[in-house]
Amino acid sequence: MTVADREREDGAAPIAVPIVDSPPDEQPVAWRHRHLLDVDVLSWADIELVMRTTDAMREVLARPIAKVPALRGRNVTILFYEASTRTRVSFEVAAKNLSADVVNIAAATSSVTKGESLVDTVRTVEALGAQTLVIRHATSGAPYLAADTFSGSVINGGDGWHAHPTQALLDLYTLRSRLPGEPGASLAGRKIAILGDVLHSRVARSNIWTLTAAGAELWLCGPATLLRGFDAWGVRGAAEGRRFHVTTSIADALRDADAVMALRIQKERMASGLLPSLREYAARYGLTRERLALARPHAVVLHPGPMNEGVEIAPDVAAGTQSLIEEQVRNGVAVRMALLYLLAGRQS
Amino acid sequence: MSAVAPVRVEIGAVVTDLEISRAWLVDPASGREGPGEIVVDDGVLEAVTWLDAREAEGVDERGVVVAPGFVDLHVHLREPGNEDAETVASGLAAAAHGGFTTVCAMPNTTPVLDDPAVFERIRAAAAASGSPVRALAWGAITAGRAGKTLAALGELADAGVAGFSDDGAPVASGAMLRNALAYAGSLGLPIVDHAEDPALTAGAEANDGYVATVLGLRGWPSAAEESIVARDLALLADVVRDAPAARLHLTHLSTASSLDLVRRAKAAGLPVTCDVTPHHLALSEEWLAGARRWAWEGSGDPWADGSRAIVASPYATALRVNPPLRAVADAAACREALLDGTADAIATDHAPHASVDKDVEFGLAANGISGLETALGVVLAMVDAGLVPLSRGIEALTTGPTRVLGVPRADRPAPGLVEGAPADLVVFDRSAAWRVDPDALVSRGKNTPLLGRDLAGTVLLTVAGGRLAYGAPD
Repeated sequence: MTVADREREDGAAPIAVPIVDSPPDEQPVAWRHRHLLDVDVLSWADIELVMRTTDAMREVLARPIAKVPALRGRNVTILFYEASTRTRVSFEVAAKNLSADVVNIAAATSSVTKGESLVDTVRTVEALGAQTLVIRHATSGAPYLAADTFSGSVINGGDGWHAHPTQALLDLYTLRSRLPGEPGASLAGRKIAILGDVLHSRVARSNIWTLTAAGAELWLCGPATLLRGFDAWGVRGAAEGRRFHVTTSIADALRDADAVMALRIQKERMASGLLPSLREYAARYGLTRERLALARPHAVVLHPGPMNEGVEIAPDVAAGTQSLIEEQVRNGVAVRMALLYLLAGRQS
Repeated sequence: MSAVAPVRVEIGAVVTDLEISRAWLVDPASGREGPGEIVVDDGVLEAVTWLDAREAEGVDERGVVVAPGFVDLHVHLREPGNEDAETVASGLAAAAHGGFTTVCAMPNTTPVLDDPAVFERIRAAAAASGSPVRALAWGAITAGRAGKTLAALGELADAGVAGFSDDGAPVASGAMLRNALAYAGSLGLPIVDHAEDPALTAGAEANDGYVATVLGLRGWPSAAEESIVARDLALLADVVRDAPAARLHLTHLSTASSLDLVRRAKAAGLPVTCDVTPHHLALSEEWLAGARRWAWEGSGDPWADGSRAIVASPYATALRVNPPLRAVADAAACREALLDGTADAIATDHAPHASVDKDVEFGLAANGISGLETALGVVLAMVDAGLVPLSRGIEALTTGPTRVLGVPRADRPAPGLVEGAPADLVVFDRSAAWRVDPDALVSRGKNTPLLGRDLAGTVLLTVAGGRLAYGAPD
């Protein structure tokens, strides 16, 4: 039984989708989390509310002027300790579409280079008016430290190897919109393969929670060195309706898959002896057209970006008709608008 | 229930006219425990009286307990060099508050304790503190703990070190360790090794296992400890063939297989001893995820059952420690080793840190738990859970560690409730719990994951060498 099924049996209340043109404090919003630090604490009803609110945000984005005054006067501070273009800009666009005031801090240009601690930086941005703090950090768990210090809401924009909640939610949204099934657990029975450097991937870890909760048949695939520890997790998860499969065989992972997500592989992995070479990785695990043919005919392809084309994914697959990579980027803005909105309207 | 009147003398003053009646006495030296009374006069344990059944009516082991003063084989006093975290004076005060009357400081100070002058500095600081708690020290095995050349082992032995250790920077070269074992053996002193293969733990943050995988923390494999334990035991077997006085002590063992290796080596007659820490006995990796249940209450999966076990924020840096908190099965193996004698002692690895080194991202936080003041409470939690007999817990805090140290000397007398000897004892009340708050901790290091928790066994009195080390306020 999946997490979604169990909650439906428990008789979860129907989802009340907010009217996103108005500020969130003017209407009841059934959101109870102050922060979004990980997806592991989200109930299925929470996820469903994010999905429906994202629908509403997509509708806003389709308007001639894609902007609502919902968060007017609210300060959203984006504090990134790691290089990022896609996620940072996505948050910025999302906040601006909601009329929030956006402050962008790249750690390389802040006092951090002078040795200021994360706690001090968070106190400082709070004193400067931050109400919602979006943080990305190379150290797993860093957003929890920020949340302990900050009096507003913290959104995890990616921490170390641990979590990338907004990415997992936009992936779920993208998959649901392209793989429709029964309402409420629309990925039930769908085979989804995540391919590549799972060990170092916060995207994979967050997707494990959301995709298994949605009932997908999840497969993780990559070289054995980059899967260390995940088999034990998959087996543990089984008891909670969160089972997933782990394999080094790309054929087993891709056979009859409905969706394939390739992960970025980094050059640094060679130095520590995890892989012989990028060439060998591309030859054995690169997502090529030939390999994609193992999947179902209309299987979709995702990648969280940034891509190494020709390594983990072939250029013709990335740009091919089955690719949803650009749609992931578009949905990313809508999902982040939904989350900024819901957190601002949380019922305390 | 017997009441113990507060002792109204200054720290360091000779304890006199002290009577503790109707308490539970535990004397690991004689193997005896039961209801009894003690009298201390002019610093000497004048009388130890065991009560008969009629007199003992209403006295049991759940109230006030009198035991020999505890001995900690592994503490970090941080002086010289890191006095923000601890000083000799604050460390000895913390020891006394925890019931310890002897502590052995590790040499990872700045400068390193690899030369008698540094040891003299620590002794001078201990004397100046006024505390009667004995500050022993391990000298470094290699100069600067750099692993390249032997430290001044003979001079350090003459100065009175307890033995040698490069704690935290384990001797990488097998040849160097083999030589150190032989040389220290000839001086009558043990080598203490912190077993860790640094190539396997580069960047490691948490026990390599399920919890670290889910939390995205860099894994710290058990094999990094076990492979060095196996190497050390092989070297010891080699050395004792022609240097039979060589002795090896493995500190803070944390995995089931490490303890199994020691169990087999002891059975084979090798001169090896080991200790386990309170935190590896009673806590587990589950705490990193935000669970706060004792290791014996844990399932190993804090996310099972709808994550109901998770009651705190994950990634609390107070839990960052070397070796890391392990799986619940490893904690069970530590307790098994404690029960069957494979583990000779409980040592705290008291590792105080200034808040600036802990109020940071988990991956950047310093390793270590401030442990002197909570060790007794953690041991009593195991006793209360029926996992360890009180007498065995006390033994592992008293006669166990002194056996590791070797022949008793003036600076480390044999523990025991012996009439006519200088009083060296701790009195605690198992029925009185105390709250582990920053203000309640005497150590400068407030870095314990037990903050906010109530622990059983309030220490009422600690007497070291006949002098007052700690007395609970009125």
